[in-house]
Amino acid sequence: MARVRDRDPAAFESLYDGFHRLVYGIAQRMLDDSMAAEDLTQAVFLKLWADPDAFHGGNFGAWIARVARNRALDVIRARSVRPEGEFPIDLGSDDDLDETVLAKIEGERVRAALRALPDEQRAPIELGFFGGITHEEIARRTGTPLGTVKTRIRSGLRKLREALEASAA
Amino acid sequence: MNGSSEHDEALLDSVAAYALGTLSEAEARDVAAHVATCAECTREYHDLRGAADLVGYAAETPEYAPNELQSARMKSAIMRHVRAAADVPPVTVPAPGSTPAPPPASPGAPVATLPVRSRAPWLAYLAAAACLAVAFLSTFQLSNVRAQHEQDVQQLTLLRAQVDQQEVAANEARGHLALTQSIVADLLAPGAQRFPVPRGLVARSNGRIVIALQHLPALPKGKVYQAWTLRRGAKAVAPSITFTPDTSGLLIVELPGSATDIAAVALSVEPTGGSKAPTTTPAFVRPLS
Repeated sequence: MARVRDRDPAAFESLYDGFHRLVYGIAQRMLDDSMAAEDLTQAVFLKLWADPDAFHGGNFGAWIARVARNRALDVIRARSVRPEGEFPIDLGSDDDLDETVLAKIEGERVRAALRALPDEQRAPIELGFFGGITHEEIARRTGTPLGTVKTRIRSGLRKLREALEASAA
Repeated sequence: MNGSSEHDEALLDSVAAYALGTLSEAEARDVAAHVATCAECTREYHDLRGAADLVGYAAETPEYAPNELQSARMKSAIMRHVRAAADVPPVTVPAPGSTPAPPPASPGAPVATLPVRSRAPWLAYLAAAACLAVAFLSTFQLSNVRAQHEQDVQQLTLLRAQVDQQEVAANEARGHLALTQSIVADLLAPGAQRFPVPRGLVARSNGRIVIALQHLPALPKGKVYQAWTLRRGAKAVAPSITFTPDTSGLLIVELPGSATDIAAVALSVEPTGGSKAPTTTPAFVRPLS
């Protein structure tokens, strides 16, 4: 990223090669529209090139995945007839995460850890991340009590983190 | 959110939902306000948010991957923009008081964009046309490569001819140098006859006559020096070779023909191409006796 901040196109190209499938995959899974996914992928990377200082360190994949998700939510929101504001907002000024533990985690390890989660935990987590829906809607779609959905999300995320920390150790 | 139930499981569950981003805006606002003032919930949020963001990797699978054409198209468009803007300083838009949060998903966020493609039905025809264009361009590029190759071959042939010419010139120079060395050797030979003249001498050695002069004045354009010889019994001089000194005014030449019956040598300035008889007063007339 230091070289990208120095306006090195070759470094940016390497970054793009390494992460464009992640960004595109998130967009495609959330939007189910290959052209929209292309547009979103280009927008995310062009924004990164225009403002590389937006990334402050930690796990770059996790960061750009969040950026991609947020932009996909924008698209969904623009498409949706539902009123603005139904989707969650990001945490504000205290969102300075120190994720050095997870900084080196690679995609395959994450996918392996996710696959290892019980379905009842993985399903609401993936539905929440990619579906762009609230936990209330998750509860309605899955026929699960609202409190149970929250508990399973928390248990699943805790288990996911522990598994990743163990694999990073 | 304040009170004795702050850290109960239900609240921590909401923090997890908040970290994943599944709370409604109103709930998210409440939880964010609480997290900002609660150390335990802040820890919980930080622990789970890092894991939540990594969930995106679940989409990096062949099922959701771009095909090769899409990858190439996106990369080409992005890198064209990047390389074009590589010399332009990065645009940083610091948000006053903000901390390193990922860029929020605000619809109005300024983002550089590439031209949005049309999704009209004729897109398939456009793609086909693009394929034809690629094929045409490939053929065109191949023709260009061949033309470039032919130019390279011609250039190589020209360079070889130039090298050959330079080799011929070098051989001539070597021959001239050898001749000069031979003349000098005659001048220095122990049995050589040397006859002083203004600015140098005339020598006869080994049946040859050599004129060696220095500091010869440069001549105007259209003029040369010409040597004359007078054979024994002859009543008039005969024309010999013409020459010009080098830039230093040095001259060493051998007169053609046998030197055995030459009685005298003269030098005059004549028009280029020489004269049949002297047209100017000779610089010298030197009897070889």
